[in-house]
Amino acid sequence: MSARAGILIFPGTNSEEETLRAARAVGLAAELVGWNAPLDDVRAFDAYVLPGGFAYEDRVRAGAIAAHDRLMGAVREGAAAGKPVLGICNGAQILLESGLAPQLDDAARSQAGFARNAPGGRFRSTHVHVKLVLPPARSAITATLPDGLVLPAWASHAEGRLAASAAVLGRLQDEGRVAFVYCEADGRSLPQSVPNGSALGAAALINGRGNVLAIMPHPERDAWTFMHHDVARDRARGDARTMLAASGGIALFAGFAAAAERYARA
Amino acid sequence: MIRCVDVALTIPDNEALTALATLQRLGVPVDALTRADLYRCDIEGDGGDELLAILRGSESIFNPNKHRIALRTGANPLAGEVWIDALDAPDGGDSLAGAAVPAVRGRGLPGIRRLERFTAWRLFDRDGAPAATSVVTAAVETLLCNPAFQKATVT
Repeated sequence: MSARAGILIFPGTNSEEETLRAARAVGLAAELVGWNAPLDDVRAFDAYVLPGGFAYEDRVRAGAIAAHDRLMGAVREGAAAGKPVLGICNGAQILLESGLAPQLDDAARSQAGFARNAPGGRFRSTHVHVKLVLPPARSAITATLPDGLVLPAWASHAEGRLAASAAVLGRLQDEGRVAFVYCEADGRSLPQSVPNGSALGAAALINGRGNVLAIMPHPERDAWTFMHHDVARDRARGDARTMLAASGGIALFAGFAAAAERYARA
Repeated sequence: MIRCVDVALTIPDNEALTALATLQRLGVPVDALTRADLYRCDIEGDGGDELLAILRGSESIFNPNKHRIALRTGANPLAGEVWIDALDAPDGGDSLAGAAVPAVRGRGLPGIRRLERFTAWRLFDRDGAPAATSVVTAAVETLLCNPAFQKATVT
């Protein structure tokens, strides 16, 4: 039996379909779940994904209203029980606003945030690569991924710059809460690899337990060969099977699915 | 001299309504909530009327079909009010002043030392009076400000 993953939708979420497709492609029994779903139904899932978009139109701040939505109560309970939780882009913003990541000292409050991009504070949509910088076993979601894995993804946000006090940033580094950093295709992390001025070059954070991952760029938008922006797509031209194969960013969903399966079997 | 101009919606403000509903659900005792874009300008001399005229003439800041605009008499938050601003990004790129800077500078208002933009939230109690500072502080801490990258100014 496949683990069940709830793809959570708030008013303004807009990346649920491609997220659902990626989750199903790695074997999850994934379903879309609206913000007004009965909480008992939401609690029945083994794992949760918060997709990208503009939940509640980013009113007050990106992710701020959704972080206090009733649905997040079920996500908070699930995370405390060890269920894997993946937030992508706006979903990552919601996780930081809710305090579910990075959750230093198990605090249930926001300790960091994704602020307006620098320089210029403008929206950016650009292809990026991110590299796993933690030992894979540090997080249930990355446990089955290769050490130092480089993933392609699309950064598509105006508020993706990790911001926090110097003390919090120091602890994020010391306590291994930065899961992915922006990098070049070959894995080198250069200043120009970071599309938004993010502190520590961070693209993704995890909580202390390692079951909640908040990632800003979209792996689901570079999860099939035809979506790639490199030689892999060029090589696949004329070969429909290869062109339509899942690859690249799908690896993160595979890791997430493995974590969900482990949780469901436990 | 510090002069402040606020620009607020005259049509229903859905963002303020959503924030109000969320605060009430979180147990913050607030009965009404308003929101305005507030421009604070440090300018030589008076300059208030000129600043008001320039902002009124900027289509990206003020739309007479849905906004009201007014020059404030004071330079600090009113009772029951909090001003939210972004902490500066390393390169200063996080400024919320946005369109106001070119609008004001481009129109040649002389002697501007600093121009800032805030989101001004004002909270009221069930009697319609400005909310107590303790209530404003609770709203700031629960929803209105993320101290990781924003700062809140309360009287």
